Amino acid sequence: MLAGPSRTIGGTDRRPWTFYALGALFFGYMVFLYGPMAAIYVLSFQGENGGVTFPMTGFSLVWFADIVKPGQMANVPDSFGRSMALAAIVSVITTVVAVAAGLAFRRPFPGSGAVFYLAVASLVMPSLLVGFGIGLGFRLFDWKASLFTSGLGAQLTWTLPFGVLAMFAVVNRFNRSWEEAATDLGASPWQRLRHVTLPILMPGIIGVAMGAFTLSYDEYARTTLTIGQKNTLPLEIYALISSATSPMLFAIGTVTTGLSFLIIGVTVTLILRMQRRRAAATLKVG
Amino acid sequence: MSSTQEALGTVRQVGPTRAWPRLRLAPWMVSWLQVGPLALILFVLFALPTTLFLVVSFFDYDRTGIYPAFMLDNYADLVNSPATIRVYLSSMKFAVIVWAITLFVGFNVAYFLVFHVRSNTVRMVFFLLCAIPFWTSGIIRTIAWIPFLGRNGAFNQALMGAGITDAPLQFLLFSDFSVIVAYVHLFTLLMIGPIANSLAKIDPALIEAARDAGGSRWQVMVNVVIPLSKTGIVLGSVLVFTQVMGDYFVVKAMSGGQSASIVSALSTEIQAMQYPPAAANAMVLVLFTAIMVAGMMRIVDVRKELVK
Amino acid sequence: MDTRFDVELIETTKRYGTTTAVDAISLRIPRASYCCLLGPSGCGKTTTLRMIAGHEAITEGDILIQGNNVSDLTPIERGTAMMFQSYALFPHLNCLDNVAFSLKMRGVNKAERHAKAREYLALVHMQDYAMRLPSQLSGGQQQRVALARSLITRPKVLLLDEPLSALDPFLRIKVREELKRLQRELGITFIHVTHSQDEAMAMADLMVVMEDGHIRQSGPPREVFERPVSPFIARFIGGHNVLPGANGKIAVRADRCRLGVAGDGPFVSGRVTAVEYQGTMVRVAMATDPGDEASALVPDGDFYARPVEPGDPAILTWSERDVHMLAEA
Repeated sequence: MLAGPSRTIGGTDRRPWTFYALGALFFGYMVFLYGPMAAIYVLSFQGENGGVTFPMTGFSLVWFADIVKPGQMANVPDSFGRSMALAAIVSVITTVVAVAAGLAFRRPFPGSGAVFYLAVASLVMPSLLVGFGIGLGFRLFDWKASLFTSGLGAQLTWTLPFGVLAMFAVVNRFNRSWEEAATDLGASPWQRLRHVTLPILMPGIIGVAMGAFTLSYDEYARTTLTIGQKNTLPLEIYALISSATSPMLFAIGTVTTGLSFLIIGVTVTLILRMQRRRAAATLKVG
Repeated sequence: MSSTQEALGTVRQVGPTRAWPRLRLAPWMVSWLQVGPLALILFVLFALPTTLFLVVSFFDYDRTGIYPAFMLDNYADLVNSPATIRVYLSSMKFAVIVWAITLFVGFNVAYFLVFHVRSNTVRMVFFLLCAIPFWTSGIIRTIAWIPFLGRNGAFNQALMGAGITDAPLQFLLFSDFSVIVAYVHLFTLLMIGPIANSLAKIDPALIEAARDAGGSRWQVMVNVVIPLSKTGIVLGSVLVFTQVMGDYFVVKAMSGGQSASIVSALSTEIQAMQYPPAAANAMVLVLFTAIMVAGMMRIVDVRKELVK
Repeated sequence: MDTRFDVELIETTKRYGTTTAVDAISLRIPRASYCCLLGPSGCGKTTTLRMIAGHEAITEGDILIQGNNVSDLTPIERGTAMMFQSYALFPHLNCLDNVAFSLKMRGVNKAERHAKAREYLALVHMQDYAMRLPSQLSGGQQQRVALARSLITRPKVLLLDEPLSALDPFLRIKVREELKRLQRELGITFIHVTHSQDEAMAMADLMVVMEDGHIRQSGPPREVFERPVSPFIARFIGGHNVLPGANGKIAVRADRCRLGVAGDGPFVSGRVTAVEYQGTMVRVAMATDPGDEASALVPDGDFYARPVEPGDPAILTWSERDVHMLAEA
């Protein structure tokens, strides 16, 4: 049959009143979501003598320049670099471990319930407490807390459960018979994983990697007690807020948002291209 | 691993030549190989540390250090302190209000995106619009409200510009109001995601069947859509609830010192190196959260719904 | 108000953007008839059904049910009920509550609606499964519950979207009989979408063959089978050979063709490509010398008196009075 517009309720093309009501709610939510963000984007261009609130005293780029200037209080570029490196490592580990676990959960196995609830518990545990526990453990053994040991560990307790939950959604849409067909056609378990399972799951896997990256990049409650001496960017920002607030904070926000848009744009383009290629392939076959 | 493979295996045994016995793992062993890293990491980094502060919560301490002991003083002090009750009540109040608002907004936004938006591309763009602010640090998103809600903030300027008020509204910032606003801003997406995922799984034929049966919009919603999206609602509620209970930044930054959160009280103790009372405090919070989450998860077997 | 017809389609059109799925079709379905919409996949039959159901908006044209224009009405106002291909049983409700659903929507109290639902479950012999969830039933059982759920609204027209496609062949024949029995007993119109011509011929009072968004032919199955209007119809409903005749294409029923020698009557020579034993008959498939595919259904006795093998040359003969002229299409 011809595919119509994907999901509509009711048989008429006329929009019901609920469409307009919910549309208005959605629009309102967008304004709510972006309104304050817009305020900080504007304020990041605050004049040199201006403060963290309106009114604007002029227009300047000094606050952006401030970011890269290592000050006495904070060193934003270094902490940014650390955050990126940590986020990249967290993202890779999370993706590999969560994808493997997602595949495992497709069939029942002894202990699956225990592992599942362990992940849920890790997810809902108040963040600071996880960091507290790990920090306490390191202190007990007289190990030095640092970015890539305790910090990395604390973040994984947060990104992994998220990754696993996301993988459930991805794996649920996966049709088992594709794998069975691959086996029938003589693929070894590894070939099947490499040529069938992973390519089909790829858009979802990219999503998990992206999610883990951003969760790690923004994380501060779990990291704060496990980081040791050197700060990540969110902790640096936190320190900045407690000491002296300047529009530089907003400039950091503006830059972060800009970077986010860039990363999302690239990812979405990748996923879209992947889907289009797949759609084209499907058309050829069907 | 699959039944097909096992079937092939049997055929091979009957056949005349059998090259060499193949190493074949039992399905449960393969599962454990796949899930092992996750289990190990969570056990070492989550279960063990949690056990550790359970143990430490019974320890003795003074200004210079902590001493192994088994005493309940830390818990007794905590429970007997009126500050504890106050801070739990205040956190619960925030959690319930924020839960109600995010559930209402999140469900309706998810419903709009899944059922009303007809083009897949538009839907994806709208989802991204919801998700993009999530990419900006929560700290920055929280303090973004300060210039917006402040005395001379954008919101007050707009109100006065429109002639709705003469003087700036004072209650907007550094109040319970601003705390709730910041929470809703931060956590609504945690509702939208799981609920939208549940809604998208509903077969459209079910809704058509309900309308065939004469169900009004509202009846279809109550009798079909909501029961079938329970998993998403519960999951979203758990996430929002635990995030609010575990918060230690938003209350600090947005209440102007008028309220405290459980965790920010706890972090003060940690900074003062008073680990045993901090650990006791943490245990109480963990138990409290666990009971609430277990209660919510009783409504629907999230595991069965997710792992199908 | 013309009440001789249960359903009338008047120049009904459905377009998705620039694609026309259903192109200005008109159809009248008499009272209390079993109508089958038949056609290859993508022909617009399901879209037509969904427009009658009110689940798909009509781009142009009208739909009348028992003389009333229902084009803008909701399904329940139209008096239609649809049985979905996937059955669409609510997974969170047991059979009884699934069947009672429409009564609940109307605010009927629990005792009354459960009693009524049990009645309808009994109608489809599912009364013993009232408390089961849909996931605990077999496909055939789910289908019967779905049927009861549709019928409890007392529809004027029951719409069935490929109702037999998910069943195994034995069950299919049983359900076929049961659907026909129900239709006759209830005295309402059933519109049944299928891509199987066997199904349509076995069940329909009115058979409507669609292709490419158009109705190509409609009528009682026997009329369609004996007088197909075009090569497409003749090929699609099966059992016919479409061959070149003196004035355009002709159709000859395969069971009226014989293998033999060139004589006075019409014939075509060719080569046997396959022999299928079918019990009472043997089907001999041929490639004719002019390049057509043809087959003869030969009684088994005749065949084994003079058997042929694939590769053998053969001559297909028929009698002039079995020739049916086709409109060129």
